[in-house]
Amino acid sequence: MRMDDQFILGMANLWRTKLRTILTTLGVTIGIGALVSMVSFGTGMQKNVTQQFKENDLFTSLQVTPKKIDIDEAMSGNVESVVESLQEDTPVLDDSVLSQIRQIPGVAITFPEVQFPVKLKLGDHDTRTTLRALPADMGRYKPHNQLGHGRFFTDDSASAAIISPRVLKKLNVILQEGKEPADISLEDSLKGMRSLPADSILGRELEIITAVVDMAAVTRNPFRFLQPMATPPMTESLTRLPITGIRRPPGAFEGGGWLDAGIVIPIKTADAIPRLGFSSVWSLLSQSADSQGYSSLYVRLESIADIDTVKSRIENMGFGVFSILDQLKEMRRGFIIFDAVLGTVGAIALIVAALGIINTMVMSILERRREIGVMKAIGGSETEIKNIFFFEAGSIGLLGGVLGLILGWIVTRIANIVANYYIAREGGPHVDLFYIPLWLILGAMAFSIFVSLLAGLYPAVRAARVDPVEALRHD
Amino acid sequence: MIPILQTHNLYKTYQKDGVKVNALQGVSFQVQEGEFVSIVGRSGSGKSTLLNLIGGLDTASSGEIRVRDKNLTRMKRQELALHRRKTVGMIFQSFNLIPSRTALENVTLALAFGGMRRRDRRSKAVDILTRVGLSDRSDHKPGELSGGEAQRVAIARALANEPSILLADEPTGNLDSSTASEVVELLQTLNRGQGVTVLMVTHDEASASAVSHRLFRLLDGKIIDEKSLRGMP
Repeated sequence: MRMDDQFILGMANLWRTKLRTILTTLGVTIGIGALVSMVSFGTGMQKNVTQQFKENDLFTSLQVTPKKIDIDEAMSGNVESVVESLQEDTPVLDDSVLSQIRQIPGVAITFPEVQFPVKLKLGDHDTRTTLRALPADMGRYKPHNQLGHGRFFTDDSASAAIISPRVLKKLNVILQEGKEPADISLEDSLKGMRSLPADSILGRELEIITAVVDMAAVTRNPFRFLQPMATPPMTESLTRLPITGIRRPPGAFEGGGWLDAGIVIPIKTADAIPRLGFSSVWSLLSQSADSQGYSSLYVRLESIADIDTVKSRIENMGFGVFSILDQLKEMRRGFIIFDAVLGTVGAIALIVAALGIINTMVMSILERRREIGVMKAIGGSETEIKNIFFFEAGSIGLLGGVLGLILGWIVTRIANIVANYYIAREGGPHVDLFYIPLWLILGAMAFSIFVSLLAGLYPAVRAARVDPVEALRHD
Repeated sequence: MIPILQTHNLYKTYQKDGVKVNALQGVSFQVQEGEFVSIVGRSGSGKSTLLNLIGGLDTASSGEIRVRDKNLTRMKRQELALHRRKTVGMIFQSFNLIPSRTALENVTLALAFGGMRRRDRRSKAVDILTRVGLSDRSDHKPGELSGGEAQRVAIARALANEPSILLADEPTGNLDSSTASEVVELLQTLNRGQGVTVLMVTHDEASASAVSHRLFRLLDGKIIDEKSLRGMP
């Protein structure tokens, strides 16, 4: 018997027990749907993060620190060795190092990283955020060359501030894009939220408040601050800068580290702002060795091709170099695990569906014992009968796979709409949380058919082993 | 003349409910091409077992079965499937048609197992159904056919792949006497008119005697009597 005849026989058998076939297929559909929507969440996350890195041109950025801190060791709780390594004689990140690095071929721009917490005040409203200082040259690069409104500063000591729309919102101002004022909920408008066009935001004066240790107060009465209930020896320093630019709304996966500055100001302007000399415990620790050096340098490369040579040259100078590319490699490993966990949850649903297939097929063999006997009596071989049942199982897998992909797609679309409704309410930009790549489509199909065939294996062998004498006995 | 079928000292023993049953105890006989041979005996005499062995549905414990020049007792399972498909055609007391398929489809299924191309099957099946006098009932399912008609469909299916020998296992056992004689007459017509070799087992000695060239009597797994009723033409 030819293959196509075996296939048609299998189809006819499925068609004869339509309801049972539909229910069994539905099981596979749900399994594949769960698998696809789960994994597509992981791949969507990965795609968004990578995309965001790419859009912000982060792959050509390096961060140079005085001494490479072994993150793994620090995380494992081996604090002693970390502190020990910090106390070793480490080269200092000073201006001479800065100019040395600037000479390395492939380096486009380098400057000390300056980033510190500030309180911003616009009108009657205030909020806390992180201030980042950049040289005017950075205006050539992404994302600074793609401001939403206004212009990046062209002078390192200009009186200018670039603000992010997110911080603006915290200052009770919603940026109005277009002619119509943005929708403001009643609740927000009671809090004083206003919708303003960019024109009336640009040029407005922003108050930047920083905390400073009041050295005078400390020297006056050094013991006062050791007493309980004592106020910290802090005073506030106020700087006024006009808003000269508004960043584009950040992507949903932007945030953390380098990208999370609420406000960007020129590097020399920042030097004049009094502040606490550290922004993190690490920089405090590393600075304690030698307060003369910078806590870290930012290095931007001409192109991504130079990354390895530049990195090793700076490392040979005795400094630690961190690139987002390294981090991405780490993250990729994390994403594989993430996908695997999500995939396992989906796969469990599919295994349950496979049990459904086995059940259906075994039932149908019991019902069709005599028919199988007849097929053997008129010349059906074991292989042919096995194949008929294989085709049945495979068809359930194929159909369930296709429907499962459709179901998975529908589920992710709905979940995306729901999620974006909440993201929008929080003032976030629209984002595609799910991504179904081609390999997921093909993989899910292959997996569905494979699992179904595997489920059909036992029933098929059992069908082939039916004893015709027994099955055809007259009774 | 070389016989189309010969068995030699055939034994079959099987376990049933833990009891050893000696179904066949040294059966030897021959069938010539074009012959109509009947084996009669009471139920439990081993006649169905004998037919299942010749039909390749079961394997002998010892002894030899030869159909044309092929030794069945040495065949592997795949070869036995081929034997059932091409060399023998079987009909049963309970017809064993597939109830979900029409008369025509039951016949084309056999043709499909025989490897015939799909477009040739239908006309071939109609031909065979005409040979058994059932061309007008070909689109009916077995449930819509009378017992006699169902057995005709079964005969058509058995003949579909032009077997060397037609094996009939109590073909009239489920039929009333007038339909039974119709079916036996059809077998006779196929044998006399179209040269189909027939081996029939039955407990109905009267109708077997009426059509057979030779008749064997089987008791407790042994042939106890052989009758030559009429000569081959």
